[in-house]
Amino acid sequence: MLPADIFQRLPIATVCLKPCSFPTPKPVAQFHLCTRPTRGATIRCMAKPRRVKMVAQQIRRELSDMLLTDKVLQYAVLPEAALGADRYLSSLTTISDVEVSADLQVVKVYVSVFGDERGKEVALAGLKSKAKYVRSQLGKRMKLRLTPEVRFIEDESLERGSRVIAILDRIKSKEKIAEVEDEEEFESSDSPQDDREWEDNDPDEDIIYVK
Amino acid sequence: MAKPIPKVGSRKNRRSSARKSARRIPKGVIHVQASFHNTIVTVTDVRGRVISCFSAGTCGFKGRRRGTPFAAQTAAGNAIRAVVDQGMQRAEVLIKGPGLGRDAALRAIRRSGILLNFVRDITPMPHNGCRPPKKRRV
Repeated sequence: MLPADIFQRLPIATVCLKPCSFPTPKPVAQFHLCTRPTRGATIRCMAKPRRVKMVAQQIRRELSDMLLTDKVLQYAVLPEAALGADRYLSSLTTISDVEVSADLQVVKVYVSVFGDERGKEVALAGLKSKAKYVRSQLGKRMKLRLTPEVRFIEDESLERGSRVIAILDRIKSKEKIAEVEDEEEFESSDSPQDDREWEDNDPDEDIIYVK
Repeated sequence: MAKPIPKVGSRKNRRSSARKSARRIPKGVIHVQASFHNTIVTVTDVRGRVISCFSAGTCGFKGRRRGTPFAAQTAAGNAIRAVVDQGMQRAEVLIKGPGLGRDAALRAIRRSGILLNFVRDITPMPHNGCRPPKKRRV
């Protein structure tokens, strides 16, 4: 028979543990998946606006570089380059703006072409036909999880601005000639109807390239 | 020692009157250097001697606004205005670099009434020479 105060003297050494019996369940994080799994298990994540801006700037740099250096793109935009006339241009293509969607999946590239109508059509058609090539090149140059889809859109804002300034210059020069007529023209030039009138005598048509 | 070669524009031969206003140049070259943050328009004669030089910064724009196409337009306009009274009618345009100034300056030049001979792109392209700076990580 053990004395009664043995349990007071002996230290509690071991605790008998059964491997699977936990009294309380572990807290498990609950994920709320899409309620309609048939839609496709895509999880959309929005990047922060600063990062979207940085990606847009980087894409702009890369695309401008590609337009200047990449032979394939240059031939697509300016077919005469293939014949060797790449230094004497008939049309000039510039990337004026790049807009990236908030989830970095779609990139809208605004392209401005300087030249006549045919040059513009040729350049834009060439770029649109090389959209997939551009996307693959962008994926090689930039480290992004998903390379965005590239869409080329024509940008007419520079042209419009140039036309407006030409109209303003013409008004200013007429002001010097006759002052009374100028006031009437100045007032009427604000209305958009006159744009159609001025388009008939487009200043860009008068100037010809001399070779 | 060999005889010193007489320079054309040396001080001893210089006339006292200012030579710049007496020059009439019918034909010239317009250089447009368009980077992403600025545009520089330089008008030279056919040999390359600079006549006038304007940039977006000298036209009064500061900071981020220097890179805009409007700044490039004003720079090109100012540069040509300074040269038109010297009698320039025809010009060749050499464009260097990416940037919005390429398009905008060209449109301003065409609007100003100068006949364009050629439009050339002279962006410097190495035949795989110096190592470019490291890739930016976004």
